[in-house]
Amino acid sequence: MISPELKKVILKELNLDDFDIKDETTAPEVPGWDSLNHINIILAVEEFYKVKFKSYEVLRLKNVGDLQKLVDSKTGK
Amino acid sequence: MQNSTTLWQQWQFNAKRTPNKEAIVHWKAGEGPFRWTFRNLIETAKKFSVKLKKVGIRKGDVCAIIIRHNPNFYPLYLGISRTAALPAVLAYPNPRLHPDKFRQGLEGMSQRSGLDYILTERDLEPIIRPLIEKPGSTIKAVYFPLEWDIEKEFDEKIDAEIESEQKKIKPEEPVLLQHSSGTTGLQKPVVLSHKAVLQHVENLGSALKVSESDKVATWLPLYHDMGLIGAYHIPLAYGIPSIQIDPFEWVLAPIILLEAITKEKATMTFLPNFAYNILAEKIHDDELANISLESLRILVNASEPIRHDSHAKFIAKYKNYGLNPTALTGMYGMAEMTLAVIQTEPGKPIKEVVVDRNELSRGIVKLADNNSVKRVCVSSGKLIPGCDICIVDENRKSLPFGFVGEVAVKSVSMFDGYRNYPEKTAEVVENGWYFSGDYGFEYEGEYFIIGRKKDIIIVAGKNIYPEDIEDAVNQVNGVIPGRVIAFGEEDESLGTEQVSVVAETKAETEEEKKQVRLDVLKAGMAIDINIHKVYLVPPRWLIKSSAGKPSRKANKERLIENKDPQVWSR
Repeated sequence: MISPELKKVILKELNLDDFDIKDETTAPEVPGWDSLNHINIILAVEEFYKVKFKSYEVLRLKNVGDLQKLVDSKTGK
Repeated sequence: MQNSTTLWQQWQFNAKRTPNKEAIVHWKAGEGPFRWTFRNLIETAKKFSVKLKKVGIRKGDVCAIIIRHNPNFYPLYLGISRTAALPAVLAYPNPRLHPDKFRQGLEGMSQRSGLDYILTERDLEPIIRPLIEKPGSTIKAVYFPLEWDIEKEFDEKIDAEIESEQKKIKPEEPVLLQHSSGTTGLQKPVVLSHKAVLQHVENLGSALKVSESDKVATWLPLYHDMGLIGAYHIPLAYGIPSIQIDPFEWVLAPIILLEAITKEKATMTFLPNFAYNILAEKIHDDELANISLESLRILVNASEPIRHDSHAKFIAKYKNYGLNPTALTGMYGMAEMTLAVIQTEPGKPIKEVVVDRNELSRGIVKLADNNSVKRVCVSSGKLIPGCDICIVDENRKSLPFGFVGEVAVKSVSMFDGYRNYPEKTAEVVENGWYFSGDYGFEYEGEYFIIGRKKDIIIVAGKNIYPEDIEDAVNQVNGVIPGRVIAFGEEDESLGTEQVSVVAETKAETEEEKKQVRLDVLKAGMAIDINIHKVYLVPPRWLIKSSAGKPSRKANKERLIENKDPQVWSR
C-alpha cells in the first residue's frame, strides 16, 4: 500500500493538491507525470527518503506500488 | 560512399563490401544487444520485401510503421524500400493518449499523407481496424509484420521480380515520407527522393567528417528527422554501425546512452538540447564509475535552440569521464531540407557571441559592452555542402549583416512540397527558398538561431502547436471558450521549454480554480501534451490582437513581467 509520505512527495513534485494514487496507478494516469517529470519525481523521492536508486531499478518500475516496494527495500522496511 | 542511384543499391553495396560488419546494434536495457550485420540485415530485408509484395504492397504505396523498439523494425523498413513503397515511421501511441484521439490523429494523417497501409502490432488492431472500414478511408489494410514467418513465405521468383523492378527505380523517385512538426493528424508530410536523401547523407556526412571507423549511438525516435536521417540513414548509407536505444528506456534511465557509448566505443551521437541537461544533472556520480566518453568524436545538438548553459553543465560533468569538450557541435535544419542546413565544425569549440539583449530584441546585432544586458548566442554553424541560407526581412528581402531576420534556406535535398498540401507549401516556399519561420543572424560567417516567428513550442525537441492545446483546453468545463492561450516558457533546469496555458474563467473560489486547473491538465493529457503551468484569469483579462483573437505574445509578456493580483497560477 502506498504510504501517505510517498503520495505527498509525488503530489508535491507534480504540484497537485490531491489525486487518487494506488498501488496499481501508472504514471500516464496522473496529470503532469510525463517522462520529463518522471526523473524529477524519482530524484524527489530519493531526496525525501535519503536513498539512491540505480537506473535499472527505476527502469523496472511498472507502477507506484513498485516504487513503494523499492523505497521500502532501501529504507529497510 | 559509392555512386548509388537508390538507397537500396547503397545498402547492398555496403553488404557486399563489408558483409560481416555490424550495421545495427539493437540495444535493450538489461539484455544483450541484438546485432545485425550488413549482410544479415539485407538478407532479412529481402525476405520481408517478398512478404510485403505477397500481401499486395506496390511501388509508391505509403506504409506507416507503428512499431515499438524491435530488432525486426530495421529489415522491415529496408524491405519496404526495396519494394519501392515508401516507409513512414509514426510514433507508437503513449498510454496517456486517449485511443479516440490517436485514431482521429491517424485518420487526419491518412487523409493528409495518403497512408495506404499500416504495419503495426496486434495491440493496436482494435483502434486501427475501424479506420479501414470507414467509408473514404485511404488505408487499404493493416498488417502485423512481427508475426510473419518470412522464412516460410520466401519465394525466389518473387524475390527476383522485386530485384528486377528495384533496378528500374530512378533517383528522382520518392523513397520515404517523414513528417514535419505538429501534433499527429496535423503534421505536414514531407516526401523525399532517393537523390535527396543520398545527397544529404553525403553532404551532412562530409560536414560531420564521417569515416569508416565511426559508430553512432542514439536513442532518438525514428519518426523524428534527426533520428531517421542523422542516426539511421547516415550510418546505413556510410556502412557504419548504429546503436539504437529505446527512446522510452532512455528517458527513464538516461545512463543507458552513456553505457552504450562506453561499451561499444561509439564515436558519434545526436542529442536535442534538453538531453545535455538531463545527462548533466539527473545521473548520480556513483553510477558513472565505469563510464568513459573518450571514444566520442562528435555530439550533435539540434532540434531545439542550443543553450550555452546546457553545454557548460555537460562539459563540467563529463570532462572527468573522458569527454573532449570540442566534440560538442551544433546543427540547424528541418525535415523539409531532409535534415540539416548548417553545422558547426567538428573538433573546434562552438563559436559564441555575447550581444546586447535589448538591441537584439530590436533586430540589431550589437556586441555587448559594459552597459549592456547581455545575451550569449550559440552558433549553429556554417553552411553544409549543397545548401544556401539568407536572412530576410518581413517582405522576404535579404537583410544586410548585423540584422536579425527570418531564416530562409534552400538545399539540393529540399523537398518538392508537402504531400497533398499545396496551400501550405505555397505559404513557406517562394522562388526556391524555404522560409523557416525561425529568426537568426549571421556573424563572422556563422549562423545563430535565436527565436521563432511562429508560436511553436519546442518541448524536449518535440514541436507542439499552441492551437492544438488551445482547442483541447477550450472544451474544459469552467474555461470560457475561445479565451485560452498556450505558450512556451523557458525551463532553465531542463534546458528546454515547457507548456503554459492561460485561460479566462468565472471560477472564483480556490476550490473551483483548483478543479479547473486539474481539468486543464487532464485535457492536455488526453492529447499527450503535458501542461506544466496553468494561469487562470478573470473574464476579459486577455489582450486581443488586431485580428480580435487573444494574442499569445502580448499575454505571455503581460503574465511573465507583471504581478497582476488577478492572476492565479500553479
